Amino acid sequence: MELAGKQTASQSQKLMIFVLTMALYGLATLFTELIPSFQAGVVEFSVEYFLFIPLTLAMLFDPLSAALGAATGELVFSEIMLGQFGGLGELEKFLTVTVGVYIAGRMVRNPQNRKMVGLAAITGTGLQLLMGTVVDILKVQFAVEDFEAVAGLPESVFATEGFAFLNDLLFSGILFCLLPTLFLVPRLYGKIEPLLGMRPRDEKAWLGGINGKVVLGALVAFAAAIGAEMLATSGTPLIEWEADWAESGTALAIGMVVAAAIAILVLLVLKCNAGKRRVEQS
Amino acid sequence: MEYAETGAKRRKKLSESILDKFSMDFLRNQVLKNAYGNNDTVIAQLDPRILLVWYLFLGLVPWFVQDLWFLMGCFLLVLVTTRLARVAGLVLVLFAVGVFSQTGYLFLVSLLFGGDASTVIPLLVLTLKVATCSLASITVFSGLDPDRLSNGLMWYGCPERLSFSISYAYRILPMLMEEFQNILLSYRMRGNPPAHDTFGGKVRYLFYQVKVIMHAFYPLMLNTAKRSRTTVEALEIKGYRYAAVNKEVKRLKLSTLKVTYNDLLFLAISFFWIALSVLASTLF
Repeated sequence: MELAGKQTASQSQKLMIFVLTMALYGLATLFTELIPSFQAGVVEFSVEYFLFIPLTLAMLFDPLSAALGAATGELVFSEIMLGQFGGLGELEKFLTVTVGVYIAGRMVRNPQNRKMVGLAAITGTGLQLLMGTVVDILKVQFAVEDFEAVAGLPESVFATEGFAFLNDLLFSGILFCLLPTLFLVPRLYGKIEPLLGMRPRDEKAWLGGINGKVVLGALVAFAAAIGAEMLATSGTPLIEWEADWAESGTALAIGMVVAAAIAILVLLVLKCNAGKRRVEQS
Repeated sequence: MEYAETGAKRRKKLSESILDKFSMDFLRNQVLKNAYGNNDTVIAQLDPRILLVWYLFLGLVPWFVQDLWFLMGCFLLVLVTTRLARVAGLVLVLFAVGVFSQTGYLFLVSLLFGGDASTVIPLLVLTLKVATCSLASITVFSGLDPDRLSNGLMWYGCPERLSFSISYAYRILPMLMEEFQNILLSYRMRGNPPAHDTFGGKVRYLFYQVKVIMHAFYPLMLNTAKRSRTTVEALEIKGYRYAAVNKEVKRLKLSTLKVTYNDLLFLAISFFWIALSVLASTLF
């Protein structure tokens, strides 16, 4: 029983963890997407973060599968199913969630040590939120041309984003990430692992703490997230290309319109012919 | 006195009707309707590969273009296709809230920091970009059947795991929602919620509700763990991990996809409209 002794799960167990996290976190994000947030004074209580689900599972099982499952679940359930898929921009959320959850999962050596669990939970949440905030600020800076020229915009972006970060971390982070994780991890420990045919995580069956490799991976992922977001908001080569074509002017545009019109006509004729042929055959 | 009473009654009635609207069943119906309810629309019958190409264009290109005419043209095009796809109302409301929260509030805040009407133009450009991309994705991802969508993605060589996740999500979601609701109901039956007449009581009631939702995830997690083990074991029996990388299996699975004249017409009409908007932008 070599397999059962290791925390690093077999391929099918990894798939199980992936499916489990995806289904649960997907369900939770679907709710949070549908339930509106409510305001109490200036403080906004959004139920935005049900991040405690992947955090809990990443501390109990293989962190990478849980992190990827959570990010995929969010993508599939709340973005694609509700039709809110934002293209390349979604890659940023995918990567930040993965990094946050993975690091939190790697930090915990013994799930029964409540202090460590709490610290890991708040670190993971904070990391995810911080990366999101940085990307958001950069995004607005690049998306709006003449960012500095628009009166009052830079300050307002920093103010709103900074406030949103603190607000999310202090209220949603503690209420919906820290406390539930502290409640769930010790309770599920030793109960949920046998259901997937695994041994609970302990000192011996531990992946090892955070080392340089993990940090490097996280940094690369964060850079990729920023890159994706930048590519989604401003693409220098394509803008140049656009300028070229605008110069050559109206003639080209008219050509395009005529070509499209001819294409439509030809297709309509072909379609009518095909319909007739089918009628004749039958 | 009487007036105050009727006012209170009316308020109670109003909050009740909003709560009715927002019950679990309502959410579930909306989501399911969005996923399965419109198989007979024009959009749903198009080939998923063609639609994905179309989406790739309308989801990416507007981000790189600053021209107001072009963006307006793209926006009108996706508005029409969203109408054709007959998307569920809730999704459209969410879309409106989402666009406002992305850019609308920025406008309000920049007014606060001493901006004026000149802030409107860059923000309008930004809003049009965001709106075009989200409406294009609403058209494609809620207009298409999940199975067709995942087949289309697979044809383009997306990881098998992603298309598996999409089809799995649509199948498992109704079950998961029902189970979650059942757990919540059983907590409610056995629980003793605090009185919520006063303000303090209301706050306590709210915390109680949140706590119940958190606690409900405990049995849900255990149940789902069991279920996902069953799922994976069933998949393994069918040789899923080998089938996922086998070319023959893939070919068999994708043989139902077919490009028809309708698909090409759809592309041509979209192209025509975009070309018109380019023409408009060069003329003015």
